[in-house]
Amino acid sequence: MNQNLPFTPKLLERCISCGYCLPACPTYVITQEEISSPRGRINLMRAVQIGELSIDQTLEQSSYCLGCRACESVCPAGVEYGTLLEEWRSAAWQGKNRNLILKLLLFAVNQSWRVRLLGIFNPRNFQKSKWNEYSIMLGCFERGLFPNVSAAAQKNLSINVNGNQGCCGALHAHNGELARGKEMAKKLGEQLPGKIITTSGGCAAHLASVIGKDRVFEYSEVLFNQVDLLKPVLINGEKARVALQDSCHLRHGLQIYQQPRAILKQIADFVELPGASDCCGAAGTYAILRARDSKKVFDKKAKEIEKLNLDFIISVNPGCTRQLATQLKRRKIKTKVMHIAEFVALSNSINA
Amino acid sequence: MDLKALTQLLGEKVKTDPVTLTAFSTDATPEFKATPEAVVFAESRDDVVKLIQFANENKVPVITRGAGSNLAAATVPITGGIILVMTKLNRILEISKSEMLAVVEPAVTNVNLDNAAAEYGLMYPPDPGSKTVSTIGGNIATCAGGLRGLKYGVTRNYVLGLEVVLGTGEVINTGSRMVKDVAGYDITRLLVGSEGTLGVITKATVALRPRPTISKYGVAYFKTLADASVAVDAIVGAGILPATLEFLDQVCINAVEKFAAIGLDTSAGALLLFGEDGDSDDVEIKTQQMADICANPAGVISVTRAKNVVEADQLLFARRCALPALAREASLAVSEDICVPRPLLAETVAKIAEISKARQLKIGVFGHAGDGNLHPKVLADINDPAEVARLHAALDDIFNLALDMGGTITGEHGVGIAKLPYLERKVGKEQMYLFRRIKSAFDPNGILNPGKTGS
Repeated sequence: MNQNLPFTPKLLERCISCGYCLPACPTYVITQEEISSPRGRINLMRAVQIGELSIDQTLEQSSYCLGCRACESVCPAGVEYGTLLEEWRSAAWQGKNRNLILKLLLFAVNQSWRVRLLGIFNPRNFQKSKWNEYSIMLGCFERGLFPNVSAAAQKNLSINVNGNQGCCGALHAHNGELARGKEMAKKLGEQLPGKIITTSGGCAAHLASVIGKDRVFEYSEVLFNQVDLLKPVLINGEKARVALQDSCHLRHGLQIYQQPRAILKQIADFVELPGASDCCGAAGTYAILRARDSKKVFDKKAKEIEKLNLDFIISVNPGCTRQLATQLKRRKIKTKVMHIAEFVALSNSINA
Repeated sequence: MDLKALTQLLGEKVKTDPVTLTAFSTDATPEFKATPEAVVFAESRDDVVKLIQFANENKVPVITRGAGSNLAAATVPITGGIILVMTKLNRILEISKSEMLAVVEPAVTNVNLDNAAAEYGLMYPPDPGSKTVSTIGGNIATCAGGLRGLKYGVTRNYVLGLEVVLGTGEVINTGSRMVKDVAGYDITRLLVGSEGTLGVITKATVALRPRPTISKYGVAYFKTLADASVAVDAIVGAGILPATLEFLDQVCINAVEKFAAIGLDTSAGALLLFGEDGDSDDVEIKTQQMADICANPAGVISVTRAKNVVEADQLLFARRCALPALAREASLAVSEDICVPRPLLAETVAKIAEISKARQLKIGVFGHAGDGNLHPKVLADINDPAEVARLHAALDDIFNLALDMGGTITGEHGVGIAKLPYLERKVGKEQMYLFRRIKSAFDPNGILNPGKTGS
């Protein structure tokens, strides 16, 4: 095998172009154009692989793709599109093709000490405790933007925290630095020996793909084991009305979507959001790098959320929390956005 | 071709960048690839008319394309030219409950039409395996079948009328909204299955049916596909015309189970899925009758009834995924689509097993058993030229087998390029000449999907 090929040949061969992925792809649904579908993009990758197209010609599509991996869930042939996309961006997003904002974002989380700096105003950042079965992963941007999420998870599950930890490298892997992304995941696996709990669906999928699923657990997956002990979250004596926005990589990458629903059904008046498994447009750095497209992807979801008349829309990934909050606010929709760990903390039930 | 003039005519709907052209160089048929010179996304009938007039004047091939899910390379532009993409014409224009019909633009998917009909208590019966992605226009162009063909028929039984742009740019309206209409030649029927060689469908009026309120399913496992075929013949022989009678061989059961993980018996040689729908106790009676018949033939392993709708849906879903799921088994997987008279089904599947042995290739067979419609999928390593050559020899064996059995080279996928070499043997020289004369009446300059049926 030629080591210089941008794509692993076996992964490219798997697609038979049946097109079952088309209706599942958010960008195809918007454009109805082949190039912005998973099948079309794989055709572009194939053309790059054999030199019919230059990698630069495919730059726009490599970035227009959300990387949500919804196509994987509906692909009977088992195409590993997420991995192909990582390879694509690693080949395409180099040199002059590298976005400046992206460079800054990746720089900020590249080293453990910088990640700690992100959460400098959070005292738990410096906490060091004895290792027990599970360690909690604090995340990188989550550490700075939503420190209450891991605090709530830590409380719900009474797990210990080790402040000296870096970023899992998902951002790198999804944004053209696959090798570095894998390295960072390995490093984090060393910093947090044993089993790792994360409150971020995207991180869970990436970390599990590198250090093994047997060591990585998403928060709701663990809490699910004690779902019967949870008490309801009440608003004026009534169960809060909530819906869930799936995390794409958690659902399509790790097939975890029933557990958070089971938890919410136990403690709230849960309603299924139509298209809950469709990407919200956060998609890691997408909401920052392609703000306009990200907003367009959210349009349908905004209407669906508004229609349900919810107290809370619950997320299982920090990027989704940010996207939901920003986009709902922009449209003056009053539904509150909360991460599932914080919502469970409201029920003030187990270990209380 | 004067691309500048084309762009002047249709503006941004015309794409000529190499990235777009690459994306339209294939459809869902393995091994066929050709790059078009331009791609046009039609947004109205007028766009289609303008394009066809341009192409007719300049003698440029036009290849009309819906979802691109066809399996006979019917939408691969082997002669170059323009790919006319219909995907943006995807509105349901009308559903008339009292007339039990729908008027749709060509790129409405089967599933979207059927879901919309469901709101009126109606259904659109043709449901090809690819129903989530395939379009009504594409269905009509290939006369798509599906899993309910035995009881409900195929696409040709549901097309009432069409709005079509001919190869000259003229617009005609065929048929009508009525079930009965014999005014003139049945051009509607002629267009069904014409694979984009006679005209471009820009609007279709299709019949709907009352939606059954009850459906029941069961599954039987057999030692071999031939054993299952005997059961199929016995079921229809007993006067039952069920909604579903589908089978999978062991290669397919394994591939599907890997994707769907619903607990199929992967040790069995064949799976037969049977089901009936309707509105009365008759559904239960018929389904039980089928279960009883399945329990009798030699080679039966087990017969179980689906407990509920969820279980039944899982089984149907599993069957639907057989074709793409088989891609897990090899880097090259070519799916064929032969049909044989039902009483010869057992003999045919036994002979396909012989072909598999003789050519030393794995062949997964599944299909609409009740229709005698088989999809043998021949598997090979794409990087092994000798194996690929044997794959082509095996396909040749399969087509010849179908014709020897008095069957056909394609039941529902169409002729396209892939099966064109076998067409004359199926229909005869005189009919081939007639095809050409018909084609030239619709498309005198031969611009519509040239190099395919009728050329």
